[in-house]
Amino acid sequence: MIKHHPDHNLLTEYCAGTLDWALCLGITTHLHFCSECRNTVAHLNSIGGSLLAQGPQEQVSQDVFTNLMAQIQARETAAVEFVAQSTEPPLHPSISKDRMLTNLPKVVRKLLPKDKALRWQTVSPNLKMARLTAGQDKYEVAFHRICSGGKVAQHDHGGLEVTVVLKGSFSDGDGIYTPGDFLVRQPGEVHRPTAAQNEDCLCFSICEAPVRLTGLLGRLVNPFLSVKPA
Amino acid sequence: MTQTLMNHMKGDESPGGVRDDTWSRLLMQVGQERSQQAFARLFGHFAPLIKGFCLANPSSSLPGEAADELVQEVMFKVWTKAPSYDASKAAASTWIFTVMRNCRIDMIRRNSRHQVNSADVEVDDIWDEELDHQPFVRLQQARNEEMIQRSFATLPIEQKQALTQVYMQGKSHSEIAEETGLPLGTVKSRVRMGLKKIQASLGKR
Ligand SMILES: [Zn+2]
Repeated sequence: MIKHHPDHNLLTEYCAGTLDWALCLGITTHLHFCSECRNTVAHLNSIGGSLLAQGPQEQVSQDVFTNLMAQIQARETAAVEFVAQSTEPPLHPSISKDRMLTNLPKVVRKLLPKDKALRWQTVSPNLKMARLTAGQDKYEVAFHRICSGGKVAQHDHGGLEVTVVLKGSFSDGDGIYTPGDFLVRQPGEVHRPTAAQNEDCLCFSICEAPVRLTGLLGRLVNPFLSVKPA
Repeated sequence: MTQTLMNHMKGDESPGGVRDDTWSRLLMQVGQERSQQAFARLFGHFAPLIKGFCLANPSSSLPGEAADELVQEVMFKVWTKAPSYDASKAAASTWIFTVMRNCRIDMIRRNSRHQVNSADVEVDDIWDEELDHQPFVRLQQARNEEMIQRSFATLPIEQKQALTQVYMQGKSHSEIAEETGLPLGTVKSRVRMGLKKIQASLGKR
């Protein structure tokens, strides 16, 4: 049961196409799990459609139509030789064998490296992270994996951080988060996540700025946490 | 739930539902019969709207001169993607709005310095049509379009403006706040209030 959703403002920006690319990845991942928000998105899109339908009109020259029909004609001719490549390329064995990385939402699967393994880095004894290349350089997009029962050192956020739970669950002072839950942490919020006892927890995360660990342990591992958007 | 679904299905067959609007029917013809005649009529109607949209929002990454280019690109996508269009899922205007939004994002990303080329994720992976495959959503949404248009017209001017800036001018909430000098919270609440009223009018039926 999903309890944590992106708010209406985020979904509106997503539908209008004004939300940062990396944050959109998080929204799409949540939509994969959440029919309620898919419903909201359908409504928000139809508002866009209504606005388009009653918006201002500008005359378009006949040339544009002529060029377009030529483009379409060329494509129809070429399409005969075109073979659709809809099958996804195979993943690196180290990824396809990892139980935690199977059956991920399509958009997340697309972010997995195809010809190499994920580079898991140990952030702290219970927490590993692997950076993902996401076609933008404003946010760090990554997997975070917390060992079953593991506590993550208390940390606060230098920038916005969005987390979507993919597998397992974790809890912090505010509640329990299960697959599909979408969390936004504002700069300055401090929290200390703990994974459930029975299994590891895999999260998809989008961070705007370095996450600072607070406390003694934090100071030791802090150097690992520089943000490298990719 | 079952009762509600039945009502929706019944409503969906009623005359005057959005399903029956001319543009959605023409778009179905383009998709199913590949009719160039239907496509020409769609072009005549939507191309000026798409251009109007683009010119209402000239930005450095998508200048006014690119308007014709955007029109051609959107209408080309409309032609190629039309076979997947389903009139029971969305009105033509909504579907074309989403195609236009994706083209615009594509064009802006192509011109942007922020873009890193190595990623395999494309615009259509993020705004994924497959995620709409829910019968309940489809029926509800197709019938709601007309209601949305009507209730939008009755919104207070500042809420109407905020929604227009977000959707039509493609501005993020914080960009609007910066340009208008309004606090971000005010912009967000105007957008939210406007949406809430539209939502409420849908509930009242
Ligand atoms: Zn949701």
